[in-house]
Amino acid sequence: MIVSKPWNELFVTCRSVASIHVRSLFQTSALLQTETEGLLDDDEEFRVIDLKKTSQKSVKKFQREEKPVLPPRYTRMPVDQDWASVWPGPRSFHPATVPLPMFQGNMSDGLPPVGKFANAELMKIPNFLHLTPPAVKKQTEALRKFCTAWPEGLETDEKIEQHFPLEVITSDYCHSAPKIRDPKARIVTVKFKVKALKLGKHSKDKFKRLCKDNYSEERDDVCIVADRCPVRKQNYEYAMYLITALYHEAWNFAEWEKEKSEVDMEYYDWDLNKSKQSYVQLKCWPGKPNPETVDFNTPEAIKYRNAVTDLFNKGEDVDTLAKYKEAVKDILGLS
Amino acid sequence: MMSTSQVLKATRLLRWSDAGIRSVQTSCVDYRKQAGRHFPTRYRTKPLTYEMAHKPHQIAHHKGWNSWNTTNLGGDRDQFWSGETAAEDQFIRQFITGTWHNMFASEVIIKRQHNIIRIAGIISRMINPTKMYFLIGYSEEILSYWLQCPVKLELQTINDKSEVIYKYI
Repeated sequence: MIVSKPWNELFVTCRSVASIHVRSLFQTSALLQTETEGLLDDDEEFRVIDLKKTSQKSVKKFQREEKPVLPPRYTRMPVDQDWASVWPGPRSFHPATVPLPMFQGNMSDGLPPVGKFANAELMKIPNFLHLTPPAVKKQTEALRKFCTAWPEGLETDEKIEQHFPLEVITSDYCHSAPKIRDPKARIVTVKFKVKALKLGKHSKDKFKRLCKDNYSEERDDVCIVADRCPVRKQNYEYAMYLITALYHEAWNFAEWEKEKSEVDMEYYDWDLNKSKQSYVQLKCWPGKPNPETVDFNTPEAIKYRNAVTDLFNKGEDVDTLAKYKEAVKDILGLS
Repeated sequence: MMSTSQVLKATRLLRWSDAGIRSVQTSCVDYRKQAGRHFPTRYRTKPLTYEMAHKPHQIAHHKGWNSWNTTNLGGDRDQFWSGETAAEDQFIRQFITGTWHNMFASEVIIKRQHNIIRIAGIISRMINPTKMYFLIGYSEEILSYWLQCPVKLELQTINDKSEVIYKYI
């Protein structure tokens, strides 16, 4: 019974049946072939049908047709060529154009340095092959015809400052991006010296007070930075408005400004202080002190006045104290 | 503050709970660095270019950047167009590797000077010069239309990709 047979036996019988079938098929086909050819050779073996197709024809690999390549350009360059025409503008490095034996690469691996051909490192770095000294000279010569002479009368910085007291500083930004806009470009800085304005004693003091931190004591200039508006023009106009407003406000004299006492003074004024009264007292002694009889323009008076003012305004140091000592000795007639 | 045992208990509870999401990492962290690094093969048969042979931390020491631009120079606050530049560079790389299929033997180098984008690289001479000229014009035109700025392709050709092999590992 087939059913009772184990599976491997059944498989063997099936295979043997199949092989018999194949053999009979093959024999008939071979006979047919020999008959048609008409040449029956008993010695020759029959060809065996290759069902599994073990032998394969070697497929020829597709080979790209090699096109002739021109030799590098530098082999055809004359020695005295115009390099500025070969490399007129900024460009990535190209080994066939640059007639120099170049290498780039780290040698810590113990390998020889990498040459210029097929070297991506040389293509990465920015090169200045378009900025050779002759090329720069050529370009400056070409630009010269667009330049104008430096205006007369503006030879020194002092003259420039005199004629153009207002300095306006703005910045344009050039990014490696397709945008030319930058939020920082709106900022306008305006600088000018306080002495360039027509101010009196009171108004000058008031102007400085109104400017607050924008006024620099050491440089004696005012620096206004306008960046609150979105556009540069608006910021510039705002800065101009500020200067105008400050100037006119400085000239205004309000009633309450008369209440300014000695404590509110921002600097030491000898003429308003006790020191002057003491000087008058000293000069008029033993009589009654009368300021009208005292001459304040004598060298010793000026010296004393300057020494005391410096002592308060500049602060106590070896210099001011020594000056003060000399001045006191002078007015007391001790020197 | 929780003690270590409390944290462990909490993580165990989280792990076995029916929450479905485990939000606390209980396995130890592996700080293995793998990106941009190539590891040696048994018979040292893996070809590397100069770019591949040097590790990412050696950029600016042994090898240069593949993107050159000035958008990161403004410090932390004044970065302008840097994110857009990174995204654009990635797009350019994808476009170039797809357009010049299997031809680039180096990385795609993107250099930006003002509003010009220069794309440099080494390609193998797999196609006719005519087709190559077409591809150069096509890439420049399409990219400059998309990116709204002049794009220049500055390529170097090699006969075979074996020319860029630096060493075998």
